[in-house]
Amino acid sequence: MSYLARRGALFVLTLFLISIVTFAITHILPGDVAMMIMGTQSNPTALAGLRESLGLNDPLIEQYGRWIGGMLTGDWGVSLRYKEPIAALIGQKVTASAMIVVLSLLIALATAIPLGVVSAVYRDRWQDTAGSGLALAGISLPDFFWGIVLILLISRGLGWLPSSGYASPTEDFWLAFRHALLPATALGLSLMAHLTRMTRSAMLEVLGQDFIRVCRAKGLGHGAVVFRHALRNAISPVVTVAGLQLGYLFGSIIVIESLFNYTGMGWLTYQALLNRDVPLIQSTVFVIAAVVMLANLVVDVLYTLIDPRVRLE
Amino acid sequence: MRVLLTPKALIGLSLVAVFALAAIGAPFLVPEELTTKINVLARLKPPSLAHPLGTDQLGRELVWRVLLGAHTSLVIAVLAVALSLVVGLPLGVVSGYFGGWTDHSLMRLVDTLLSFPVLLLALTISAVLGPSVPNTILAIGIAFSPYLSRIVRGETLRVAALPYVEAARSQGASNWRIIRLHIVPNIMAPVIVQATISVAFAILAEAALSFLGLGTQPPTPSWGLMIQASRDYLDVAAWTALVPGVAVAATVLGLNMLGDVLRDVLDPTLVTER
Repeated sequence: MSYLARRGALFVLTLFLISIVTFAITHILPGDVAMMIMGTQSNPTALAGLRESLGLNDPLIEQYGRWIGGMLTGDWGVSLRYKEPIAALIGQKVTASAMIVVLSLLIALATAIPLGVVSAVYRDRWQDTAGSGLALAGISLPDFFWGIVLILLISRGLGWLPSSGYASPTEDFWLAFRHALLPATALGLSLMAHLTRMTRSAMLEVLGQDFIRVCRAKGLGHGAVVFRHALRNAISPVVTVAGLQLGYLFGSIIVIESLFNYTGMGWLTYQALLNRDVPLIQSTVFVIAAVVMLANLVVDVLYTLIDPRVRLE
Repeated sequence: MRVLLTPKALIGLSLVAVFALAAIGAPFLVPEELTTKINVLARLKPPSLAHPLGTDQLGRELVWRVLLGAHTSLVIAVLAVALSLVVGLPLGVVSGYFGGWTDHSLMRLVDTLLSFPVLLLALTISAVLGPSVPNTILAIGIAFSPYLSRIVRGETLRVAALPYVEAARSQGASNWRIIRLHIVPNIMAPVIVQATISVAFAILAEAALSFLGLGTQPPTPSWGLMIQASRDYLDVAAWTALVPGVAVAATVLGLNMLGDVLRDVLDPTLVTER
């Protein structure tokens, strides 16, 4: 229990540091918020007026206090572009992104683990060359390029799935699923490639250990050795990597959601960045970083459940 | 050196060599007016003898654009990784070597930065500073540095515990001397491997930033920008997306393969595994 308490305290501390970094990026770097909103060619009196109304002339620490106070009490401010409360805007988009992130994780795990196992079991034979080659190609292609290829093949070519847009799962689940499938696949491909490589090397390591020889010696079948004994011992590093790669996924949703016009958190963040909507940038960046950190915490806790050998220090 | 003769090493090296030659040679080989010349009559022509890789929506030859795109990619990726080394190396060495309170506070900062997805951090920095080539370098470089400093710190911890460091210290060598002569040269192997792979990631990041309009700005040729421009013509001119896409893929694939091979060569702890 003390482990969880300590992790919890660390979580709060890091959350605090994340808020400082987020605030710092939008305030201390040379670009001035008022100028970001109005452009460099704008009228100096108008600029001064905007600075005053945004409270930009107050000391930084006061501005930070106002921002973080608002975040804590649920008043996240109003988007400059959409003129709507930010908390509500983000609330609408979170489900959309959660859907494609979870879906892409499932796609990646469901394909990477079998591929990695096959590559390891048939080490250095054609199955391995094919599997490892596929994985290397997967991490080498930008995910937005995968997205374009998927749009060309599946959407334009075969006409199976829509290439753009988002549908709410509460209104029409099947339609929402069809809209989420292509972005999720594009998102999951590079993760799949990473996980395949990870599964392969973890499996190779376990298959080389003595207890595997014991299993074979006592007459266990090939399948039982590979799946019941080897894979169970190789799975925890794979889960860790999947968790750590979540951060990467949350970076990629910005590109993928924009490509597929899928209106989730990534899309909203992109709109905020394009429109220099500073309050919205701060909130979306903060939320994404916090979610990534929370996901890593969950993975760490899960890790101890999957693999009892990991002690809670 | 037998490892350099494996198919993987040869393919990786050749891909990287082709990319490097194109990137370095392009500005000298390609006449500037050819890349920017707009030819409305030759819009979206498919690849043919007259147009080796086809033309884009403004009738510009993709073969020249993709060569100059290699130049942009290389410059941005290499400088960004160099910047992340300049930031990450001292941070990691100091943190790992001195340990204690210094280590704790520096690593807390690094962990915080690691919670921000690289692409998110780079996009935000680029949006705040205003998109341009130098700012793209700065954005990617800053976003990558926490990763490098993590690796450098780990390696420094390992090397600092080795007997020869203790021997140097017992001879009265100063911290600065130990760091300069004993720590840094001995942590370079994994750092070089990581730097090679980082160049691949930086190329992907530059492509993504430019694709979203927050990296290289037109008319500078960039692979990400080319893919962005192709989106409106996918149905009629798929090659406008495939040409730069394949260029990115081949380059990154080459760098990743080279990185894998370098790891085998430079990292003695991984001898048993492949």
